[in-house]
Amino acid sequence: MATADGSLNARLEEMSPQKVGKLLGFYGSIAALVLVSFFPVIWMLITSLKPASEAVQFPVTYIPNTITLENYRIAFEQAPFLRYLFNSFVVASGTAIIDVFLGALAGYALSRLDFDYKLPVLLIILFSSMLPFISRLIPLFRLARDTMLLNDYIGLILPYAAFQLPFAVWIMQAYFKELPASLEEAGLMDGLTRLGVLFRIILPVSAPAMATSAIIVFIYAWNEFLFALTFMTEDKMRTITVGIALYQGEYTFPWGTISAAVVLSVVPLLLFMVFFQRKVVEGLTAGFGKA
Amino acid sequence: MGSANQPQDAGLSERVGVGLRDRAARYRELRLTESELATLLLAPVLGFLFVVSFYPIFDTVWASLHTGYVLPNRTQTFVGFENYGRLFGNGSFWNSLTVSLIYTFVSVPIELVLGLGVAILLNREFHGKYIAQAAILFPWALPTIINAKIWAWLFHGQYGVINDMLVRIGLLSQPFPFLAKPTVALGAMTFVTIWKTTSFMALILLAGLTGIPEHLYEASRMDGATKWRRFRDITLPLLKPTILVALIFRTLPAFQAFGLPFGLTNGGPGEATTTLVLFTHKITFNRLDFGQGSAAATMIGLFALTISMIYVTTLYEPEVR
Repeated sequence: MATADGSLNARLEEMSPQKVGKLLGFYGSIAALVLVSFFPVIWMLITSLKPASEAVQFPVTYIPNTITLENYRIAFEQAPFLRYLFNSFVVASGTAIIDVFLGALAGYALSRLDFDYKLPVLLIILFSSMLPFISRLIPLFRLARDTMLLNDYIGLILPYAAFQLPFAVWIMQAYFKELPASLEEAGLMDGLTRLGVLFRIILPVSAPAMATSAIIVFIYAWNEFLFALTFMTEDKMRTITVGIALYQGEYTFPWGTISAAVVLSVVPLLLFMVFFQRKVVEGLTAGFGKA
Repeated sequence: MGSANQPQDAGLSERVGVGLRDRAARYRELRLTESELATLLLAPVLGFLFVVSFYPIFDTVWASLHTGYVLPNRTQTFVGFENYGRLFGNGSFWNSLTVSLIYTFVSVPIELVLGLGVAILLNREFHGKYIAQAAILFPWALPTIINAKIWAWLFHGQYGVINDMLVRIGLLSQPFPFLAKPTVALGAMTFVTIWKTTSFMALILLAGLTGIPEHLYEASRMDGATKWRRFRDITLPLLKPTILVALIFRTLPAFQAFGLPFGLTNGGPGEATTTLVLFTHKITFNRLDFGQGSAAATMIGLFALTISMIYVTTLYEPEVR
């Protein structure tokens, strides 16, 4: 493939027209895929910038005649979107922290310790990831209610952490397996206990795998809807997904303000994806692709 | 991921050093054997999974055999299969089962084919590969419920941009109420999920493709095999384990669809897009029929188990590896 050095023109001149055509076709397909992926959100952005009257107009205008931030002002006035975003952030971070910690413990045992019942334990953990969420919802709802955990961050963090734990364990054990045995031997020679080796040597060098699991778990918890809808009944405790789903607006056609709300909720996610793109791709690849 | 160490080497050196290290280590660690330490590390994880994942499954089955499950005073009466009787006599249950089966088994095969296409397209080195992958993956990262709201607007019967485009290119003479017609609404919902998750499918399959050694293709190329034959004889068989994983990890969520119908159509028109989980949630938390809801949740568990079993038994080959 083309290398980074050498100007584009020089490289194009070396190629046959057929090759140039192929390359254009390739990058054209990629561009088309990216456009298809982003069009719906771009459309929400365009709608959110139109005045209410222009949003509900047919034929639609692709470039707004008038640009206004009115929809954003109304959306902020009518619902506590910043509060929803904050709630989502707390829940998603809490879930990620628990899963990275427990995932590292279990992953270490499963990948680097020798014991008899390894396979059954691994199967139990993986099997738990296949259980339908709705089959766990009703008892967990009762449990949360009886322990006063409805409308509490912990009430969502604990189930989310359990649901995504198999993924975290899988990622961590796959990473630990690749580490050289000499790491542990050196630590043991230096007088560390096995637990000391885990916490002082293995975990510090496993930051990449921990970040990968944390990011995927975070996205999952940020996006979850079924439990969030059922467990968070008070408006001020709602996560962003529930806040958007139940947001009605005050007009017959509140699409301008709904679009503004959607854009507000997508921006943090977009920044997150841009910032952690490599980790997200690696996490999914390691988590599912190499199973 | 990480540096490539041969696991055999690690295993060997571990075995060589095992006698010496064991004695020293056991002394320093208050005589914890590896097996005891493993138990110590795994206990919190297994305990946690038991309380939050396994116990609720049993409790759901238990609740499905009783009435009065959620009442605070806990006067629960055993009613045998009465809740199941009411569930099976409920036309809405069978309707939602049909909706979920159509939705799942139309969307997943299409995602697999499209995902394979995208994976093959991406299976080469090029500038900005990670950015392209992350960009294509953006729909997957969108929260399902927010995505549902977005598409409800795109498909809007009067002012939707999809209607506008179709009218402009002459496929429609006037706006069409996509989400108000039963069959079309289910089709639209299926389309949206294909749009959202094809990239996820593609990424998993791409990981599998990357793992196929290049020399296999070269050998076959020298034998004069066509592109199609190389795909059929090398790519597909070697990709089978990855396809199995991809199918399981797409079918189970599709079968449990909740946020998409909730936000796109709220199950309508009528019950045309009411999936199994949406039906179960409504009957449990709107009508507060926890007995019938638990029976439905138990059935969903059985269906999910059946689907996984079918996939594993038909696609899994122990020899391949």
